[in-house]
Amino acid sequence: MESNAGATETRSNVTVSDGGEVAAFESLQFTDEIHRLISAPATDNASSFTALLELPATQVVELLHSPESVKLIVASAPNVEDFKGSFHFPSNTGLIQKDARFSVFSGEGNNKNDKSNSPEMTSKNSSANLEKAVKSEPAETASSLPLVSDPTVENRNIKRKDREKKVKGSTKKSKPATNESLEDAEKLPYVHVRARRGQATDSHSLAERARREKINARMKLLQELVPGCNKISGTALVLDEIINHVQSLQRQVEFLSMSLAAVNPRIDFNLDSSFTSESGSTMDGGNFPSLVTPLMWPDVQVNGYRQQFQHQWHFDTLKQPIWGREEVCNNYVTPENSLLSYDSSANSATLHANQLKMEL
Amino acid sequence: MHLPHSTLKQEFVKKWIMGLQRCKFSNKNMSIFERKKAIKLSADTAMASARKGLTCWSRALISTPDRSAVPTTTRRASLACKKIVKRSRRIRRTAKCGAARKRQITRSVAQCLVRKRTQILKSLIPGGEFMNEVCLIEETLDYITSLRVQVDVMRSLASASVRASEPHN
Repeated sequence: MESNAGATETRSNVTVSDGGEVAAFESLQFTDEIHRLISAPATDNASSFTALLELPATQVVELLHSPESVKLIVASAPNVEDFKGSFHFPSNTGLIQKDARFSVFSGEGNNKNDKSNSPEMTSKNSSANLEKAVKSEPAETASSLPLVSDPTVENRNIKRKDREKKVKGSTKKSKPATNESLEDAEKLPYVHVRARRGQATDSHSLAERARREKINARMKLLQELVPGCNKISGTALVLDEIINHVQSLQRQVEFLSMSLAAVNPRIDFNLDSSFTSESGSTMDGGNFPSLVTPLMWPDVQVNGYRQQFQHQWHFDTLKQPIWGREEVCNNYVTPENSLLSYDSSANSATLHANQLKMEL
Repeated sequence: MHLPHSTLKQEFVKKWIMGLQRCKFSNKNMSIFERKKAIKLSADTAMASARKGLTCWSRALISTPDRSAVPTTTRRASLACKKIVKRSRRIRRTAKCGAARKRQITRSVAQCLVRKRTQILKSLIPGGEFMNEVCLIEETLDYITSLRVQVDVMRSLASASVRASEPHN
């Protein structure tokens, strides 16, 4: 994962060199948008996906506003050539790495990058640098996605194929070869669109691209949340892991509720048995949180969850005979079979359900 | 998590206790299945209401009275996906395709796989059938955190009651 580490480093370099680049930005015609990006609220919480929601929303708004300017820049190649010469940014390896996928502006051998992923890309021009810098700044503000993950990038490679126009063979070659350069670019759809030449610039594909990038951003958050997903590449496998995780959690809830029902003869077990034995005080809701918080188990990985749960389960099954509740044992051991017979008790449950929901 | 774990736990615990207290008055002699159902139901409802209607899945969970057993469609889906992959390989072999055609095929295969997975995920998340992909992923995130909270609380409670029952014997 050296390339990933390099990408994260380079992105941190970008924030440092922000000030110098802002001055250079002003000569561009899309400076106002860039300033808006720079002044975008930084998300403090690294894993806050709702904060992330704000960022793409503004981007989509920008996207809708700027397709005309986008078309101008994309369509007029000579203008782009002019831009190339006017900006020379400091050799920022991060930017250059991100340049790797935009070999559309061919010809200029501004190859300052020595760790370029694709050797065939010689076109590292400053305008592409500029666009990368613009992309990377909001990437910094969106601190919730600091990591570059190969899986989502490769996933994007797969998904991008239908977006590609067959303009240049070099463009095609560049796309599979790049990795983390895609990552930051995805966060800013409208900037992304500006950079790409030969891409469809109608509102449909723009909006579609924005939507796809939103989805990929959320998927990354999911990958961080579900343990063991960071190393997986490809959307399908990541979704597999997520599905497994959700299913295992749901099953754990089922089994735990079953064990709780088995442990106590009455429904309000926690108010009577646990508290009188543990705290020796009268029952009320206030005691329970204080009692429970010292018992809270830390979040562990999925394997940890399963193991702990299994230990708990075996422990309970051992305890059952001691308590003399043998009739429960058989049911407990075969929870899957017992699940099927729950339908018979559905009627009583629905009554409770209505009551509960009204109360809550 | 945009909600701190501990506050979610406390919310869930409070509401769960309330729900269980309500259940106490309704039926004195319940079988283990009914108890289990009641516990799970009150836990689910408590978890859903702890989100205060911010999320789609919580509203769906409250509106539907019961959830069936966990569907086991992953295996079927993976088999179907393997078939699709085999079919695509056959196509690739027979067709005299260039690089673009191969990419198309792999892309379609990947899209098919992803589509199957999203269908499964939609069936797992309560109320997921009506969401688009973006909402689905957000709801999944939220649902996973809430499920974790629920599992934590229930597990600690179970261990507490296990520990509590020991001195009685």
